[in-house]
Amino acid sequence: MAESVGSAGGAPALPSAVRKLDPSAAVFGAAALILIFLVVVPLAWIFVASVHSDADETLTLSNYVRAFSRSIYLEPIRNSLVLATAAAVLATFFGTVLSWAVSRTDMPGRGLIRVMVFAAFATPSFLGATAWIFLAAPNSGWLNKIWIAISGAERGPFNIYSLTGAILVIALYSFPYTFAFASSALELVPSDMERSAALLGARWPRITWRITLPLVRPAILAGALLSFLEAIAEFGTPAFLLIPAGKQVITTQLYLFFQYPSRPNLAAAYAVPLLLVTASLFLLQQRLLKKGRFTSIGGKGGVREPFRLGGWRWPLLAVCLVPTVCSLVLPYTALLLTSLSRAWGRGPVPGNLTTQWYRWALVENAAARAAIGHSLSYAAAAATIATVLALFTAYVAQRRLVPGSRLLAFVAMAPFVVPGIILAIGFFSAYARPPLVLYGTAWMLIVAFATRFLPIAYSGTESALRGIDVELENAARTLGSSTLRTFWRITLPLLRRSIVATWLAAFIPSLRELSSAVFLFTPSTAVITNVIFDLSDAGNFEPVSALGVLMMALTFGLIALAYRLFGRTVLFSRGRG
Amino acid sequence: MPDNVSRIDRRAFLKLSAGALGAAALGPGALQAAEADEEKKLYEAAKKEGKVVWWTSHYQLSAAEAVRDAFKAKYPGVDVEFIRQTAQVIFQRLNQNLKAGVKELDVFASTDESHYLKLKGQGVLAAHKPLGVNHLPKQFQNIDPDNTYHLGALAFVVINHHSSVSPVPQKWTDLHDPKWQGQITLGHPGFSGYVGNWVVAMWDKYGWDYFTALAKNKPKIGRSIFDTVTDIVGGERKVGAGPENQSLESKAKGNPIDIKFPADDAVLVISPVGILKDAPHPNAGRLFESFFYSKEYSQAIAKTFNYPLRSDVPAPTGVAIEKLKYYRNKADRLDKGIPEAIEKWRETFGV
Repeated sequence: MAESVGSAGGAPALPSAVRKLDPSAAVFGAAALILIFLVVVPLAWIFVASVHSDADETLTLSNYVRAFSRSIYLEPIRNSLVLATAAAVLATFFGTVLSWAVSRTDMPGRGLIRVMVFAAFATPSFLGATAWIFLAAPNSGWLNKIWIAISGAERGPFNIYSLTGAILVIALYSFPYTFAFASSALELVPSDMERSAALLGARWPRITWRITLPLVRPAILAGALLSFLEAIAEFGTPAFLLIPAGKQVITTQLYLFFQYPSRPNLAAAYAVPLLLVTASLFLLQQRLLKKGRFTSIGGKGGVREPFRLGGWRWPLLAVCLVPTVCSLVLPYTALLLTSLSRAWGRGPVPGNLTTQWYRWALVENAAARAAIGHSLSYAAAAATIATVLALFTAYVAQRRLVPGSRLLAFVAMAPFVVPGIILAIGFFSAYARPPLVLYGTAWMLIVAFATRFLPIAYSGTESALRGIDVELENAARTLGSSTLRTFWRITLPLLRRSIVATWLAAFIPSLRELSSAVFLFTPSTAVITNVIFDLSDAGNFEPVSALGVLMMALTFGLIALAYRLFGRTVLFSRGRG
Repeated sequence: MPDNVSRIDRRAFLKLSAGALGAAALGPGALQAAEADEEKKLYEAAKKEGKVVWWTSHYQLSAAEAVRDAFKAKYPGVDVEFIRQTAQVIFQRLNQNLKAGVKELDVFASTDESHYLKLKGQGVLAAHKPLGVNHLPKQFQNIDPDNTYHLGALAFVVINHHSSVSPVPQKWTDLHDPKWQGQITLGHPGFSGYVGNWVVAMWDKYGWDYFTALAKNKPKIGRSIFDTVTDIVGGERKVGAGPENQSLESKAKGNPIDIKFPADDAVLVISPVGILKDAPHPNAGRLFESFFYSKEYSQAIAKTFNYPLRSDVPAPTGVAIEKLKYYRNKADRLDKGIPEAIEKWRETFGV
């Protein structure tokens, strides 16, 4: 039997006689049921809701007609497309330059840049948007004030309340996608061709442009598409920056559909095309990545040598610092200073310093204190559900334990293409009505977070499983151990480290999730991001900053812990925020 | 549980009516005694419930915190859980909860009076006569003859300006002056009840043209009315249609902001308070609503620069509300007017 399993090549199937006797089928069946509950039902509800009238729940196509015939609903779609395209282009540019500099050159400070890119990745863009209001509001922004003070001009050059402002902010927090894809491809590209070109007299700019970048083009495009997906699904940044500018995008329009009198079915119809767009872009991205993988495999054995940039080393570092300073140094300085100010408008002057907002968040304000507790506990519960579910599903899919296990894998990855706000609409349609009312309970947020970040957990677990030799499992089974027992005694202990890493990879984005939480919470289940969003509406910038700083301190604290425990691998698990 | 509540209700109501009759016969002393007795009973029942859940858009965060603290000082053992959000947002959340059958709210405090007409129509408000409601000025008593809601706060939408502005705009129409291009800040009627009140008032006074002309000056549109205070204090904008309470509080802290009661009338915002029929803490809710008519409540909100509800607490502006010239929208006008205004606002300002 061991013979036949070995020849199956990494994905062995068990003889059906063994499978029949095994209680594990029931356990894995339960995992499949949970997947249906978490993914299939809410997504199906979006389509069901979209063809039902909001007034009397009769079957109709009128939602689609209304959603796509009125100019006030079409304008946001146009804005979203402009916003996402421009943000993706910009993010791709930053991401490509930085990944090339970090992976292929002898630029100084490469390690620092890598860490900063990761920190930008961990920062939710709505927090960045808040900080950029302090920095670049047209009249009161600190950068504008500095500009006026230096140049004596009447007005400063920056206006964050604009489409350009929103594009910049979103690009600043989504370039890490291209960076991650491009740098992992660049690290695999061999230098033979580059060296040949160098021998023939070409210099590094020409070699980079004509040889290196074309080799990793699929990875760059894949990163660009992910940035686009991220930008079009973004809710917080447009809400903070574009409402003052008098512009709506798809996600803020969806939010408006939920205002009284709420029209969730119209919202569902409005969301369906966006869902189709993100799904097809994701499929396109997967195809590109496959092509990219093909290229890189050919070069795996090659030697990679960094470009020697000579005098260009420092100017390149300066270029690389632009996006990282703009996404981290400036915004975190602004947030920290504001959180320590009595009134942010007065700026960081003596007499304006206070720690009252931290006391407020941690002690005085019961709602804020409760929200911190909710964020931590819900994110922990969601990460646990996602990790356990991913473990079972990935195991079943990898080892082909039940028929249709590929479908299971597909279902587990499906939430990846669903913007948070649309997932929330699905959850709301499915679980805010009998027979199963989760709305109003913590479970509404927990299961939504678990679903949203299940793909992260799944892909992490899957690659970890791929790295385990099946021979050990096979040996156990040959000696008469059941699938479940084998899983428990052999596979699980081998996966221990990556399970914890996966858990963190799902926990961190759950902790700072806004776009689905904003639809699914009730005040008694509010999380930190809900309180931040609520407070931001009356210009309570100081407590907003304090809560944001606390949230990121928790996040970075956990990342540091994860780094200590698991090293670099845990840092670049790809996920969406 | 619901049976219990209605029994308490009926008993409370009988007591109160008896008290009122007695007061008519015996004078105010008897009424006070009956009220004190009733208050004690409510407090005991509220302590068993432990807390009251309150969603408010009445005033700025600091005022709501002052109310919470004053209530907890007067009634130890009863906690106050509250959120402060704009009127349309808490109304939407309440409706979402009602639709899904989620019961978590006791006391609903919006700044859009028409919300209460809609909730009353849905039959979800509990009829209840709070203790001490007779302390309200006559013109604000019985805003709902059926007692499903009562006055909870009074505020004004007035001209807000940076202290460096001179001359100060005197009328709402002065904001049309092109010199305010890029210098105006407004809230959004789709979020804020104050702004909804102001928009309907301007619309009825001057027609919608008021806003088409205003849009030419490219105002910054926030969400809450309190966004305007932040914008002016921070130097982001110079003038706006803002509140009087938070602006005065901010001014008192030394920030460069001031207000002007415009010659063409400040807009009075009637902010009601009501209790839900299926409130999870019905007695704490009733005790909390009755607290609105206590001296402590008026002192707490006056301390944070809101108009007190009782005449025995001095107004923060120094001018009693009777002496002010203001415009007051009718509730049924707001009922149709605010939803229409939100639609028209979208066309005029793009959001």
